[in-house]
Amino acid sequence: MAATKETYSEAMKRLEAIVSRIESNELDIDQLGSQLQEAQKLIKFCREKLYKADEEIKKILEEGKTPEEK
Amino acid sequence: METNNRSLSLVELNALVRRSIRTCLPDEYWVQAELSDVRSNYSGHCYLEFVQKDTKSNALVAKARGIIWSNVYQLLKPYFERETGQAFVSGIKVLVKVTVDFHELYGYSLTVVDIDPSYTLGDMVRRRKEILRRLEADGILTMNKELELPELLQRIAVISSATAAGYGDFCNQLAHNAFGFVFYPKLFPAVMQGDQVEISIIAALDKIYASGIDWDAVVIIRGGGATSDLSGFDTYDLAAHCAQFPLPIITGIGHERDDTVLDLISHTRVKTPTAAAEFLINHQRQTAEHLEALALFFAESLPDRIRREKERLERCVSRIPSQVQMRLQRETFRQERLGKRMEMAWQTRLVREQYRLQVEQRLMSAAGRRLEQEQHRLQLLEQRVQAASPEVLLKRGYSLTLKDGKAVTDIAQLQAGDEVETRLAKGTFRSKVL
Repeated sequence: MAATKETYSEAMKRLEAIVSRIESNELDIDQLGSQLQEAQKLIKFCREKLYKADEEIKKILEEGKTPEEK
Repeated sequence: METNNRSLSLVELNALVRRSIRTCLPDEYWVQAELSDVRSNYSGHCYLEFVQKDTKSNALVAKARGIIWSNVYQLLKPYFERETGQAFVSGIKVLVKVTVDFHELYGYSLTVVDIDPSYTLGDMVRRRKEILRRLEADGILTMNKELELPELLQRIAVISSATAAGYGDFCNQLAHNAFGFVFYPKLFPAVMQGDQVEISIIAALDKIYASGIDWDAVVIIRGGGATSDLSGFDTYDLAAHCAQFPLPIITGIGHERDDTVLDLISHTRVKTPTAAAEFLINHQRQTAEHLEALALFFAESLPDRIRREKERLERCVSRIPSQVQMRLQRETFRQERLGKRMEMAWQTRLVREQYRLQVEQRLMSAAGRRLEQEQHRLQLLEQRVQAASPEVLLKRGYSLTLKDGKAVTDIAQLQAGDEVETRLAKGTFRSKVL
């Protein structure tokens, strides 16, 4: 659980880092393409976290139920 | 027996007491007291005890039986509970208007005719302040507020009564949010009313902590009932547990007017369970907006940037010939300007040199004239010197007399018998003075 949670924050951090590198002109034009590709992957990942129910998480929550709740 | 004749029956005595009390205490009186042993029966009348405790030892110092007749109690109880958010139960302090009564059979009692909820509210505020002061002294008052809400707020541990409508509304609202955000709420049931609130919520928090699941936040909600007893949320132990809980706590315990201690120490306080759901949805919306802003940057700004770079390059390429031409023109112009400047410099120099030459010539001619003058002066001097020469005088017929080689100019220099020498233009002769 901790891993997936951190991955969202990490993905956001990576996205922010790419933005700031681009904005400060640290990247030359050759690198822009590959960075754009990575950013799109990260965005897709984050969107899925927000909008797509994760069956695995649901299952873990079910398992976390106390006996009297089952 | 005389005494027997003068004696009263108990009912007579009690009637006397009743009449005396009625006579001496005919008014209605406002009384501060603590409620004890509050109970109402099938007929709707409320029977209770009013007590006063010693502020230090907490020992009872006064007690009186009380009664609230059904017709009064039906209005008084909901009014009091609505105003204070506090159930009309034992243990709270009240300010009530009473008549003092005595009944031959039931004895002394106070009949309640009115109540002032603001007194109880004041007392509750004092108690809350005291709890907050303790929490602050312990350094834990703002601990929960200082926690940061995670960007992704999805796994929600909910403390609520399973049967309460509020919990259903909360889940419903989360599940059907307009943005399609995913939430994972899970109920940790607790008693949300009465004196079990504290123990029950603390137990639920312990369960959440021990669940081994990485929750994003805890939501404590209660809803439904119109008036209710919130005093359970105003305890030190509950506040201390919640303040120090390692997850942000969001409260929506459904009290419009007053903040309970739990509300005050929680990370975020909203009014109702639906408002709590709204808060979570809103938080996710901000998270999503943040993500979309980044997405927009990559979807639009970056390709735009690449396009602009290309355009810049093309512009550079197309500008090269014109650049060269411009440079040539500039160079030509520069050369011309340089030539002109040189010519002007030469002319200036020429004028200066000519002037210098003139000055030199003037100097030269002035010097020549001076030389001539000097030569002429010399000639005059020479002439004058020559004119003054003794040879010239001698030639004119003058003579020079010398005595012992020195010129004689005064007769006093001579005595009789002195030998003198006389020099002429041509030759000399010697003679003796007579």
